[in-house]
Amino acid sequence: MGWLTDISTIARWEVKKSLTMMSREVLPFAIVLFILLVAVTGFAAQSGMHLQDGMYEVGVDDPRVAELIASDARFSVYRADPAILEKNRNAFDLVIMNGQVYSSGTDRAKAAQKTLERDYAKYVNSVYNRESDLFAAYPLWIDVQTVKSELTFLSTQSGQYVQAAPGRKAPVPEGEISAIPTPSASLDFTKEELRQELVKTSSKNTQISRYTEVLSAESTMGRFKTPSQLSPPLPFDSIILIFVFIFPLYFTSQFFMMSIMNERIERKGEVLLSTPVASSSIILGKMIPYFIGMLAICTALTLYVRAPLIILLPLIPVIVFFLANALLIGMLSRSFKELSFISIFFSTVATSYLFFPSIFANVHVISLISPLTLIVLSIQASPWTVTDYLYSTSLFWLTGAVLFYIGIRNFKEERLFSEKPLLPRIREFLSEIMSRKHPFLSVFLLAGFSIPFVFMVQLMSLTLFFNLPMPYSLVLLLIFAALVEECAKAVGIYTLFAQDPAFLTGKNLLAACAATAIGFLVAEKLLLFITLAQISESVFGSILFLSLGVLWMPLLLHFAGVLIVACSLKFWGRKGLVIGLVTATAVHCLYNLYFILGWIG
Amino acid sequence: MKARHLSIIAKKEFRGLFNERTILLAVLLQLFIAMFSSFLMVGLTSMYDPSSLSKYSRYKYNIAYAGNDSAVLEYLQTSPDFRVYPMDLSTGVAALKERKLSAVIYVPDTSPSADEPVKITLYTLTNDLQSAIVDVKLKDVFLKYEKDLRQIRIDRLGELPIPLQVPKSSGGGDFYEFVYGLLIPLLVFMPAIIASALVIDLITEEYQHETLETLISTPITFSEMVWGKVLACELLVPIQAGAWLLLLMVNGIAIQNAGLILLQVVVTSLILILLGALTALHYRERTAAQFIFSTALVVVILFVLALPSNPLNLLTRLAVGTAGPEQWLVLAATGSVIIILGYLTQKYAERGGKSHHAG
Repeated sequence: MGWLTDISTIARWEVKKSLTMMSREVLPFAIVLFILLVAVTGFAAQSGMHLQDGMYEVGVDDPRVAELIASDARFSVYRADPAILEKNRNAFDLVIMNGQVYSSGTDRAKAAQKTLERDYAKYVNSVYNRESDLFAAYPLWIDVQTVKSELTFLSTQSGQYVQAAPGRKAPVPEGEISAIPTPSASLDFTKEELRQELVKTSSKNTQISRYTEVLSAESTMGRFKTPSQLSPPLPFDSIILIFVFIFPLYFTSQFFMMSIMNERIERKGEVLLSTPVASSSIILGKMIPYFIGMLAICTALTLYVRAPLIILLPLIPVIVFFLANALLIGMLSRSFKELSFISIFFSTVATSYLFFPSIFANVHVISLISPLTLIVLSIQASPWTVTDYLYSTSLFWLTGAVLFYIGIRNFKEERLFSEKPLLPRIREFLSEIMSRKHPFLSVFLLAGFSIPFVFMVQLMSLTLFFNLPMPYSLVLLLIFAALVEECAKAVGIYTLFAQDPAFLTGKNLLAACAATAIGFLVAEKLLLFITLAQISESVFGSILFLSLGVLWMPLLLHFAGVLIVACSLKFWGRKGLVIGLVTATAVHCLYNLYFILGWIG
Repeated sequence: MKARHLSIIAKKEFRGLFNERTILLAVLLQLFIAMFSSFLMVGLTSMYDPSSLSKYSRYKYNIAYAGNDSAVLEYLQTSPDFRVYPMDLSTGVAALKERKLSAVIYVPDTSPSADEPVKITLYTLTNDLQSAIVDVKLKDVFLKYEKDLRQIRIDRLGELPIPLQVPKSSGGGDFYEFVYGLLIPLLVFMPAIIASALVIDLITEEYQHETLETLISTPITFSEMVWGKVLACELLVPIQAGAWLLLLMVNGIAIQNAGLILLQVVVTSLILILLGALTALHYRERTAAQFIFSTALVVVILFVLALPSNPLNLLTRLAVGTAGPEQWLVLAATGSVIIILGYLTQKYAERGGKSHHAG
């Protein structure tokens, strides 16, 4: 019970402290800024975003066409007689004479033409929408029926195309053929219903809707579309979602970071540390208000956008992950500017990890790496399973927990108030969680607990490289994955070495390497088994995570890798680290090439 | 105010940045974002404009055609993108499920000149990259057919749009607007935002670490210290923005007027840096100052974006080469805002210096 009281006391202090600080000076300004923000948003909505004004230059002879084009601020329109236009044709991106568009052929002109085509299509639609005989203006309707196919990584592993083109003969299905009823030839909607929908979709011609168009592309007509409405869903909605949900989290975690940092400035936190309260209670107590605050913000946002509340579930691990990182950043940085840079760096990387996969939300399973994909799915009312949840959030839970543990163990005077540079500090933090009595057990555990981080980095690289055409993506992934694993394995050995270079005698070195290799392998298999079976079945997976089959081969590989690093550390000291890592990575790559892909021999 | 004092302060801050190796993080960050956005470009391009990857341009997609004969069948057969198999609907859909086909089309028995529209049913796979591409290619075919049908029914139309003949596009240009109209202004402007956040850190640090007394006891005055910090942050902007421009150019994105772009960024960033300095001088405490500043930043940027020919728009136009002499007007307007803010900063700093001496 004492533990809980401690936590709640500290949480109350934290709230009180930040509230008094906030209310005195900040609140009046914050209110003014908020009012200004509302006013400016209104102004921006009215006047539009003028970021891309005047990008293209167009020469036109017909005033009606000029008026039509000038309605899009992206064009600077010059009206002149055809003779003059003809003479200065290259001064413009596009020249329009007698209803014919001529392009100057540059990249800018190509883009201008695309924009013009889109604008013109909108204009044509607006004319046709007024047509009394709607089916003369829109004589063709497409009823889009989607068919579910078992989507596996194998089938689209390159991210591109899967089918080998068959011969001349029509493909014959192998499985059962279920009868498909012949579709009726009539639309299920009245002319007026269709017209309303057309007007609705084409009227959104504001500058902001250029970016958000697809967000509301889902019409009430659902599947019925005119040919021009038939285009792939660019996942802009997930881009917007990311910023709606992630930005406040990032913002709030800044406060937590700062609160930790403030304890360290001028040793203010000494008082707190001298009380008989456990460091875990201090950290939890300080964190809980922010956690609740973030959750409240997310709930409010969810209710505001009228999304189902279930999207909070995938957000919780993200919040935990953000807070854990904020804790460590607050504990690690020496100065405000360091804090700023590290936190900007962290938030960029984290945002891209969250954001990149969800771009593929409607397209590929890889998107499930990010918890935000679950949010996208929930909003689209597509179901997801507990397995999906585990799959996309387990890494966030695990890394969050490990980081918190490191933070709690290091929350004490000599760590908080030291002024050492960043990297030695990180090393100190790590050596704090390693037990001196059981160095080998510690190395084993450290290697094991590095696995969630390794997976995260590797998955991040997978989403990055996934975009590249096939051979490059595989090669880059191969090298990068090997490097990451070797780095992770080297951490334990390096920490041991930095603590006491003399510790690495021949016998100890072998034992530590073995412990690292075993720890790495065990954790890898365990985590794979629980979560990532889907990815690990693919070619990409086989590079990232050694396949589940034979065990002694990968063990040998891990052992060899870490041994190379350890030996170069022993012989060349700290300078040997880089050499060792490069060599180990090379060995790792060769192994992968040989055994998994069978490219050599 | 002495120039030597300013440079002493600026040098001190730079030394701090290099000693902490935070500058390294900034470089890493920049590289990461560059990689990120170029990967994003390649990915999106190959996803939404497959012909950009020459390797795939000759790929033929298998399509099943069911139902009645129509011009669509003809268009599909002559299209270089498709291989069409006339099939029974149920068999076609079953093959589609097994991924042996990319799409199945069913065309009903509606006469082209009928009162009713022609309703084509299109079966594609859910959640598939490929079907997204097939959709795009099929769209062209359908649009052609729609045009034909419209021509047949033209007598029934009351009002015809102004005719405009657009030449067949030669591909490309899809991401021009994204790159030049969004990526470049945001990336080039990011250093300004970082620099303004940095100036807050530098100033509040002196207050919170109580190093101010030591600094003031030297011949350097309080306002010289503030301006020295502003100078240090300001110098970072052209370095970082220049690095961005270089990175973008290395990525094969041609940027015109790089020098003028830098000039605009450097001048505009001074507004943000001075705003940051003012906030920091007012609050003397990082959390509050950063909070107020970032909220103010959102307000300012949103407001500026809503103004026609704003500095960010100017960056876009400079990069694509359509900026005219009005850029100097914008620069002058920015300059006058800077003078006002600079005056305010000076006053605030003088007052801050005095109160500090008194206290």
